[in-house]
Amino acid sequence: MSTRQELSSEELHRRLEEAEDIIRAIRQGEIDALVIKSGAISGEEVFTLDGDTESYRSFMEAMDIGAAAFDDDGSLLYCNAALCDLVSVQPTQLSTNGFLAIFDETNRTVLRDALRHAKADKVSGELQFICNGKIRRLLFKASALKLGVNSAVAVTFTDITERILAEQDQEAERTALSILASAAEAVVVTDEVGIVSHANAAAVALTASDPVGMRFGEAFALDFKAATGLMQGDDFLALALAGQSIQGVEAEAPKGRTTQNVLVSAAPLRVAENQMKGAVVTLVDLSARKLAEKQQNLLMRELDHRVKNTLALVVSISNRTGASEDSIDGFRKAFTGRIHALAATHNVLADRSWSSIRLRELITTELSPFVQKYRKRFHIDGDDLEILPRAAVPLGLIIHELATNAAKYGALSVEEGSVTVTVDAEPEAGSRRITWRENGGPAVEEPSRRGFGRTVIERSLSYTAQGGAHLTFDRAGIQCEIRLPTEDISSTVG
Amino acid sequence: MADASGPKKLVLYIAGETPKSLAAIRNLEKICEVSLPGRYTVEVVDLKNNPQLAREHNIVAIPTLVRELPTPIRKIIGDLSDAEKVLVHLKVGDDQ
Repeated sequence: MSTRQELSSEELHRRLEEAEDIIRAIRQGEIDALVIKSGAISGEEVFTLDGDTESYRSFMEAMDIGAAAFDDDGSLLYCNAALCDLVSVQPTQLSTNGFLAIFDETNRTVLRDALRHAKADKVSGELQFICNGKIRRLLFKASALKLGVNSAVAVTFTDITERILAEQDQEAERTALSILASAAEAVVVTDEVGIVSHANAAAVALTASDPVGMRFGEAFALDFKAATGLMQGDDFLALALAGQSIQGVEAEAPKGRTTQNVLVSAAPLRVAENQMKGAVVTLVDLSARKLAEKQQNLLMRELDHRVKNTLALVVSISNRTGASEDSIDGFRKAFTGRIHALAATHNVLADRSWSSIRLRELITTELSPFVQKYRKRFHIDGDDLEILPRAAVPLGLIIHELATNAAKYGALSVEEGSVTVTVDAEPEAGSRRITWRENGGPAVEEPSRRGFGRTVIERSLSYTAQGGAHLTFDRAGIQCEIRLPTEDISSTVG
Repeated sequence: MADASGPKKLVLYIAGETPKSLAAIRNLEKICEVSLPGRYTVEVVDLKNNPQLAREHNIVAIPTLVRELPTPIRKIIGDLSDAEKVLVHLKVGDDQ
């Protein structure tokens, strides 16, 4: 080496600059090793300033859990063999590609943020990555570490994939059990040989005692009446256990408090693809449905009956109106009026679901074609009555015929005429009398010919001995005494 | 500007896998790749195994980067984390 005197001032300047640069780098922690010339024989030696790196590495290698150290920039300084195993990567690959490359962008950001925050405080979190096509989850804890002059972050990694899977399995089982318990229908789960393993409260109600541990067939003893003996006892369960689904077979469950009609469905219980763990049987209570079907059939029959009655009535009205009217126009008017009268009563009854109709409402409805004109000259005295459909339809026709006649020839055909309807206070001999009385109309004479209107009035309520109507042709005005059978009056409204 | 004589050699002195050595390698790779593609080849000399190699360039502090050409020889001491400073040092005298 040259002596200082031999060096040019330029070289001296450069050396001074280098010496200053070394001191600055040491002060600023930019270097972590120095070359020391220890003697002529041993020559140069390297002293590192990064603390006892070897011992911390040995310690990390001895750990079972994955461990790594990262520098201030988040770059991997070192990772132990356990971590390489955990992420299934060779140590050389880790240093070449960088540890962060194992993760996707989202998880990389999580780890980067953690490394940044770990300088101030301990941080923990979860990471996931794909390893051999499967998601693996890591729990990590990061904290600051001083390596001699270098600040670093130490991170430990634990594989929690199995633990999370086990927790998910437990959660799934808890959910399945609570679904089973909250199902309104009876649900039964059996094992591969048909022994009941789970049964909810609705299912237990179909048996004599707790069915868990018993053979399904023995516990429920279902009777498949509609299956004509082809399917009995455990046969359908055997089908489900063989991998087939059976949908909606009707059966009787006789073991409960009462024998119940149920709709049975069964399906194999698959826990994974091609792996069966038993069967799931659902038993839907059919009692309510059977009752509804019965009610519907009843209604259908009732409707059929009413339609037939009404058609017979229409045919009869048509025939009789034809026989008593002289012209087509006369027929059309009389026939249409009667059909409308029939329809008006039907409408009111239909609005009340065919329960009953009030007498005043019936009269108002039937008089509606005339009511504008005659309201002031029409009076109803006495109680109102709730009349059942059987009497309401003929009474409607009678009122229609009386009103039509009054408007054409009677009290309502002149200005000074009036009509009073009186309802007797008490029933008599099984009927309630309603009197239609006309006053102030033209003088009345009994007609020579007996028209259909009169027939309707006198016969319509004669379906029973307690019903009927009688016309009296008083000179002062027509009077009609109508006897309404009390059995067709549901109540009296005061 | 690329020299017609081809890429020039840089020598980076490190000491095993100390954090600053690893950081210097990483930083230099990034600088060469991003700012000086094709202009330099890098030789990494690990003084931990062969400390006597420090003699050639009279290395005292590690890591140190040495640019031999063009003369005069230049040393950049530290982990090369200040990319601008490294570029200024590498380019001095380069265009002459």
